[in-house]
Amino acid sequence: MNTVFKIYRFDPESGRNPRYQYFEIDVTKGQTVLDALIEIKAHKDGSLVFRRSCRSGICGSCAMQINGLNKLACETQVEDLKSKTVTIDPLPGFKPIKDLAVDMEPFYDKLRAVLPYLINPDSPPTDKERIQSPEEFKMIELATSCILCGGCTSSCPSFWADKAYLGPAALVKAYRYVFDTRDRGYSDRSGVVNNKHGLWRCHTIMNCNDACPKHIFPTEGISLLKRKVVEEKY
Amino acid sequence: MHYKWKTGMWAFVMHRVTGLALTVYLIMHINVVSSLHDPGSFNKTMAFLGQPLFRVLELGLLAAVIYHGLNGVRVFLIDFCNRTKNHAAIFWILAATGSVIFIVGAYPLLHHAGIF
Repeated sequence: MNTVFKIYRFDPESGRNPRYQYFEIDVTKGQTVLDALIEIKAHKDGSLVFRRSCRSGICGSCAMQINGLNKLACETQVEDLKSKTVTIDPLPGFKPIKDLAVDMEPFYDKLRAVLPYLINPDSPPTDKERIQSPEEFKMIELATSCILCGGCTSSCPSFWADKAYLGPAALVKAYRYVFDTRDRGYSDRSGVVNNKHGLWRCHTIMNCNDACPKHIFPTEGISLLKRKVVEEKY
Repeated sequence: MHYKWKTGMWAFVMHRVTGLALTVYLIMHINVVSSLHDPGSFNKTMAFLGQPLFRVLELGLLAAVIYHGLNGVRVFLIDFCNRTKNHAAIFWILAATGSVIFIVGAYPLLHHAGIF
């Protein structure tokens, strides 16, 4: 099946404005958008820039906007898009560096801000690990599967409007530790998430839930965090 | 910046638009009501507001109030009752409910205006 790929091209060194470039390739059954990009880079235009690593939905490198929605290129089969022209853009909301590669550093800064590690001043037991029941783990299980692709934060209109907003990914990470029964770092994190660039900037627009390749539903975690913050205060 | 609009995005934008429209309406409403000091000005204002244009705007006001109120219920269900996964279904259920309320509310408005 012949499919046209309309790809965002941008090279800051060229001094030219961003533009779309069209490539037509014969797509076979099961071929993913990432496969198509690799084929274009190998056979049509070697200067095309995009990130990829694992090709199996684990590393999160190949998140990009495909036909108007943020997805992982490696998990998106061209056939499923049911589209003769596939439009590929870099993740919105982040600064494009070159073609489909964007500057993810602000995203990682937000992640660091919520202290994404276990905080517990008590020494762990010497004879076993810190115990957590399966029921307790279930509460955070989905949130632990985040691969940091940035698809959710980049899809969020609140993040587009307020670049200081932590965004769904960082808030899900905060949720993951705040609701971890082994963690004692709530007081350290509450100030980071409970402000106008934190939880309360989420207006339940829901783009993040659709964008998440791991089906984490960030809005649910954010809502639970909102309730936790209110309960702790009153 | 472009992104495909889905239910949540429409719900959010319409909530903002109706919220702004209701704020503007409330300011105008309070302003008009506060200027009615005697029967003469009351009758004059009522005659002015009885024009067909204001009947149509009243229907818009009814629609805005219903939408804003019901979507507020939806946001409450999402944030306080963990209904994130059902947000689109809730939207359409409330849209159907809102449509019925609109028809029930619009009929007396139009009937009073002599249209039905």
